[in-house]
Order: sequence, then C-alpha cells, then structure tokens
Amino acid sequence: MKNLKVDVTDLKKNFGDNHVLKGIDFKVAQNEVVVLIGPSGSGKSTLLRCLNRLEDPTSGKVIIDGNDISDSKTNIDHARENIGMVFQHFNLFNNLTVGQNVELAPVELGKMSKEEAVKMAKELLDTVGLDDKYEAMPQSLSGGQKQRVAIARALAMNPDIMLFDEPTSALDPEMVGDVLEVMKDLAKKGMTMVVVTHEMGFAKEVADRVVFMADGKVMEEGSPEEVFDNPQNERTKTFLEKVINV
Amino acid sequence: MLKKVFQSIKRYQNSDVPFYNRSMIYLLKLKDIGEDRMKKIIALISCMFGLFVFINVYHEPQVNAAEKTYTIGTDVTFPPFVYADSNNNYVGIDMDLIRAIAKEEGFKAEIKPIGFNAAVQSLSSGQIDGVIAGMTITDERRQKFDFSTPYYKSGIVMAVAPKGNIKGLKDLKGKRVAVKTGTAGATYANSIKDRYGFRTVTFDDSDNVYNDVKNGNSAACFDDSAVLNYGVKTGLGLKVVTKPTDIGSYGFAVEKGKNKELMAKFNSGLKKLKANGQYNKIVEKYTGESATAAQKKASAKADSEGHTFIGLIKQNKSAILDGIFETIKLTVVSIICATIFGVLIGLLGVLPSKFARGASTTIIYIFRGLPLLVLALFIYNGVPSLTGSKVPAFVAGIITLTLNEGAYTAAFVKGGIDAVDSGQMEAARSLGLPFGRSMRKVILPQGIKIMIPSFINQFIITLKDTSILSIIGILELTQTGKIIIARNLEGFKIWTIIALIYLIIITVLTLLSKWVERRIND
Ligand SMILES: Nc1ncnc2c1ncn2[C@@H]1O[C@H](COP(=O)(O)OP(=O)(O)OP(=O)(O)O)[C@@H](O)[C@H]1O
Ligand SMILES: [Mg+2]
Repeated sequence: MKNLKVDVTDLKKNFGDNHVLKGIDFKVAQNEVVVLIGPSGSGKSTLLRCLNRLEDPTSGKVIIDGNDISDSKTNIDHARENIGMVFQHFNLFNNLTVGQNVELAPVELGKMSKEEAVKMAKELLDTVGLDDKYEAMPQSLSGGQKQRVAIARALAMNPDIMLFDEPTSALDPEMVGDVLEVMKDLAKKGMTMVVVTHEMGFAKEVADRVVFMADGKVMEEGSPEEVFDNPQNERTKTFLEKVINV
Repeated sequence: MLKKVFQSIKRYQNSDVPFYNRSMIYLLKLKDIGEDRMKKIIALISCMFGLFVFINVYHEPQVNAAEKTYTIGTDVTFPPFVYADSNNNYVGIDMDLIRAIAKEEGFKAEIKPIGFNAAVQSLSSGQIDGVIAGMTITDERRQKFDFSTPYYKSGIVMAVAPKGNIKGLKDLKGKRVAVKTGTAGATYANSIKDRYGFRTVTFDDSDNVYNDVKNGNSAACFDDSAVLNYGVKTGLGLKVVTKPTDIGSYGFAVEKGKNKELMAKFNSGLKKLKANGQYNKIVEKYTGESATAAQKKASAKADSEGHTFIGLIKQNKSAILDGIFETIKLTVVSIICATIFGVLIGLLGVLPSKFARGASTTIIYIFRGLPLLVLALFIYNGVPSLTGSKVPAFVAGIITLTLNEGAYTAAFVKGGIDAVDSGQMEAARSLGLPFGRSMRKVILPQGIKIMIPSFINQFIITLKDTSILSIIGILELTQTGKIIIARNLEGFKIWTIIALIYLIIITVLTLLSKWVERRIND
C-alpha cells in the first residue's frame, strides 16, 4: 500500500493486568474508508483512541501521516489538528453555542480569524443540514443533530483523517440515517476514515475494507464482500450471525 | 526607586477599599477574560497581596523612626489595673503607669489588650516587647521572663457569694473553686486544694470567674486582693472573706535576656514617678475612696439607662462599629486571598502531572485538617518564636484564613472540575487544543457554574471564622463583644447584639453573592 495515512505496528495496550490490545497491525491508505467491527470489549475503541493518543500505547508504533504518534517527543497537539474524532456521545461543548463549538479550535489555534471562522462554521453547518442552528445551544438539539454538529466541529480543523467511534449507537433509529448520510458524503469527497460501527449496511456500501477484531487482535480483514459474504474465521462467522440475526 | 515604592505603598494604603472592590469584580468576571489579561490580573493581585503584607510588617518602624515604639501586651480586663472605660479606652493603674513612664523616658507604648494568657504567650514568642498586666513575680516566671522592680504589692484573697455559707478555706471541702488561667490566684488555689479538699475550674476571663461564683456553680474564687477589693467596692456582688496572703509583687516583664533597653527605661521611669509623687497619684486615682465611689456611681448610672438593648448599643456604639469594620476588613481580604490561593491549588490538583496533583492533595489535607484555632496560634505565636520576626496579628489572621478557607476552596474547585464530563476534555484535546486552553475555554466555564454555590457557602464560613481570630487579639466583632462584657457583665444582651450583627452581615453577603451568581449565569 502506498501513501499510508495510518501505519500501526505491533500495538499493545494494557490497562493494569487487562491486556486489551495484543499486538495489532493496522494500515489505512489515503482516501481509504476502513470499518472496524467486533464484539463488545474486543478493543475497537481502544485502538481508535491510540491513533490520536487519547490512550498511551503500552508498546508498538503508531505512525499517522509520517508522524510517530507513539513517540512522546512528538507534539501531540499539533498532530491531533490533522486527526478529527467523532465520539459516541457527541461531547459537544455545553458552555458554547453550536457556532462557537465549530469555531473554537480554528480560532484558538490561529488557523483563521474570527470572521473567517464564522463564515466557515456557517458553511459547514449548511453541509450537515443545520444552518439554522448556528445560534442554538447544544442542549436544545436532538441526538442526530448533535452528532452532525460534532462532525462539523471536527471538520473545521480541516483534518486529513477522521476517526468515528460508534457515531450512531446513541441515536434513536430515525436519526441514524441523517448522520450516515453525512458520513457517506464525506467518504465520497475522498476523506480517509476509520469507522467503528455496528451499521453493517453502511459498511457494505461505503467501506473499502472491513477489519474484524476480537480479543485484542485483528482476526480477519478484507473487502466487505469477502468478510460479510465469505468469512474465513470462526469468530467472524459467529459474530456476523449474531449481528445479522438481531 | 525606593522612594517611588514607598509612595505607591502609601497610595495603596489610602485606596485599599476600592482595590478590594476592583479585584472582586475581576475575579467574578474571570470566565470571560482572555489568557493574557488573566495572567496580568493574577500578577496584579499577588503583587497587591505582597504589598499588603509588606505594609503591615514594615509600617510601624517606618512611621515612628524618631520615637522608638514598643508593643506592650496586657489583659482584657483586670480592674483596677487594666480595663476598658466606656469609650473603650484602656485605663487603670498599669495603663497609666506605662503611659507615664513612656512619656518620662521618651518612647511610644503601643498597648495590645489581648488577654493575660495570650499576652504571656506572645511575649515568649517575641510578638510583643513587654507585658504589664498585674503579673505577679514568681520564680517560675523568672525562668522565662526578666522582671522590673516591683511596682505594686499584692496578695491573694478569696471571694464568695454574699448569701452563701462559706466563711473560710475550711468550708471549701468537696466544693468547686473558680480561678483565671495563669494567674497567681490560680497557682495559689492549686497549691492548697489538696490540703482543703476542693477542686478548681479555670476560665480565661475574670468576669467568667466572678459569674461562676455569683450563680453558684463555684463556691469561691481566688484573685489578687487589689482586684477583688476594687470589685467589691464598685459593686461586683461578691464579698472577700480572707486576709491577703503575702504572695509578692507585680512586675513589668520582658522576654528573658531581650529588650534590656526597654527594661532599663521602665525601671528608671518608675523610680522617677515614685520620687515625684505621680506614682501615688495614679494608685490613689484608682483605689482611693473617691475613685471607687465615682466608679460605683458610674455603673449605677449605666444601670439605670443602659440595661436595655438600645442603651447598650448606644454606650458601646464606637467600639461595636470598630469591631464590625475590622470583621468586614478581615472577611473581604481573606475571601480574596483564600479564593486566589484555593483556585490555584485546586487547579494544581487537576493537572496531568502526578507531582502537581500530589502537592495539591497534600496542601488540602494539611490545611483542611488543622483546626483553625491551632493554625492561628501556630502562625501568630509558633512561627515567630522559631524565626524571631514578628507577624502582625492582622496579617497572621489573613494568612490563617487564607490557608484554611483556601484549602476548602481548593477541594471544591477540584471537585467542580472533576464533575465536568471527561468527554468534554477529550473532545477539546482531540481537536488539537492544548491542555491549558481546553481547561480555560471548555472545562472551567462549566466547572465554575458547579462551584458557585460552594463559593457562596465558603464566603459565609469565612465571615464566621473571622471570630476565631479573637484568640490572637484581633479586635474584631467577637473580641469586641468579649471586652464589652468584661466591663459591663451583660453577657446575654451583648452576645445577642453581636449575634444579630453577624446575621445581618451574613445576609448582606448572601444577597450580594446571589446577585453575582445571577449575573454569571446570564
Ligand atoms: N480507561 C480504561 N481503564 C481500564 N480499562 C479499560 C479502559 N478503557 C477500556 N478498558 C477495557 O478495555 C477493554 C476494551 O475496551 P474497548 O472500549 O476498547 O472495547 P470496544 O471494542 O470498544 O467495546 P464496545 O463495543 O463495547 O465499545 C474492555 O475490557 C474495557 O473494560
Ligand atoms: Mg467502544
């Protein structure tokens, strides 16, 4: 693979005696959309959080865009500007309006002036279908609206890579579609994305590659057709049966 | 350069009240202040605090460069030797003597009526230069203090309630006897209690001793003959039933081996006063028939007009106002200092560094754990006896409250920040915002809202805790109450008045805080 955006080698992560990641190799090429699936507790979130060092790896290498994230000498704040992250529970800044949520980081980090940021925030909110919510407080939004603001907020830093940790799991079913729509658009525009999700439909339609994790290891990976229609690993088979039969 | 500094100090001194107001407003606006301005404000406030301490420490020697000033500790009430007259001026044989000697010898005596016990302790720790408080010269005291030539001969007598059936020492078997802490009367009572089979109970103030006998809790009390005789003559309501035991004389004391110059001046001044007849005049003024008659008449007059609440407030208006002002001053300055200290220590406690968090936890643990009273005495009496430099009572009081209230503030600042969902910090960091910026822009504004009720609560506690500083002799509201009661023995009414005043100040403070809270929440 050329132009590796994410290059993880032999990543291990322990929480005390709990060995959560047991030697992960994980690569993502430019413009690629990778969907991470696996049973609860398999370490999907932990892997994702190691990619922007919200968790410190116990050992192994995490290289993003040529930057060694796992090296403590790397300026992590600088590296994070390039890695957007969307959380299951949105984590919108409760003390700020929707507009301010989007504008905060670019203005604070000197990426643009306040006026430019306002213009950009309005455009981004327009692309996620929330141009009328610029002045609203996060508390007044529905879950689906919050998640779309969170995506706009991450995009405001103009990142090369976007990480999504179960972005639709906390949403009412009728809200899920709106958020997935925004993510599909993003994928079409060529964003490099790593998505943890249980939305198998989304994975089949959008993913270039599906990675199945269990017990802190990558068990199987391949194109959506390969993994969903013809799984090789026993664990993958039982997992998919459970998920699809729900 | 130095001149400039002093000029600016003068200016700050003159404008200290507006300064408090300004910094209060800054503090409350904290949430929408930018990084640079906040740094500047913190720097400004710390400078002010530094200056404030500096002024209080170095103020006196500077102003009185020509005449040397000595700080003289004395009792709160020990008539006829020392007591406050109705204008709250300290008078009595000891007071007139020390003032006359100071005049004779050309020095200034700054009188600190902090109570016998506190005076003796402060003398040992070097907080004050001398003590004149009807102190009997004993061998035990000679170990720690140097005494002047005796200025008054006294003995211990026993006083009882007039209606009781106690007529002498023999009747005390199985009874309880009241004495005042650290006095010769207490020493005497303890030396004979086994022989006569009585128990002793100690109080810090003379009026508590007398009251205990009057209301029958104790059968008798022992005190200096001059004091008790004076009291009996002026209507104290006790009667003396024994002859004075010859236990010696009163002397002026300085710390052993120190302040030799002051001691020499005292002795030479006393000699001159005795030679020119002024000494006899002073003693006569307070113990002669005319003096005691006048005092009796005065207290009778006070009786007729002053047993109402209004009368008591009128009589003690200026003393009470001074006390209120001192309490408010203490409260405002310590709220500001404790808030700054508490916020800084609280923030230290949420930094990623383990060392910083440990330091914060330790500071909170120590200063929240120490009783305020112990901390006050430690800073006022303990530290100076180690370092040898004086700490003015006001500054010691501010430091005490800053450390103690600041520790509580730090704890809820930390708690308030921890109460903000951890996802908020993760989201901010994931955007590339550094820790400090995430803290200020996202976490603190949410945390402060959680903390506001605790801040208001802490302000009120600070106000109440200023009363504990009466122990180190600060003339705030509580100490003022004690002194007034020492004079007029109107315990119930005066404490009612003092309590009401506290409630009024607390109400004002609460309303003010609520108003600020509403403004912040908008
Ligand atoms: N901060 C932490 N401290 C201790 N243990 C943790 C921590 N975060 C995660 N773990 C543990 O690591 C394991 C993997 O957690 P992780 O959240 O990565 O799983 P997941 O695959 O994302 O599961 P889910 O589908 O339920 O989100 C779990 O056993 C979890 O208890
Ligand atoms: Mg997870």
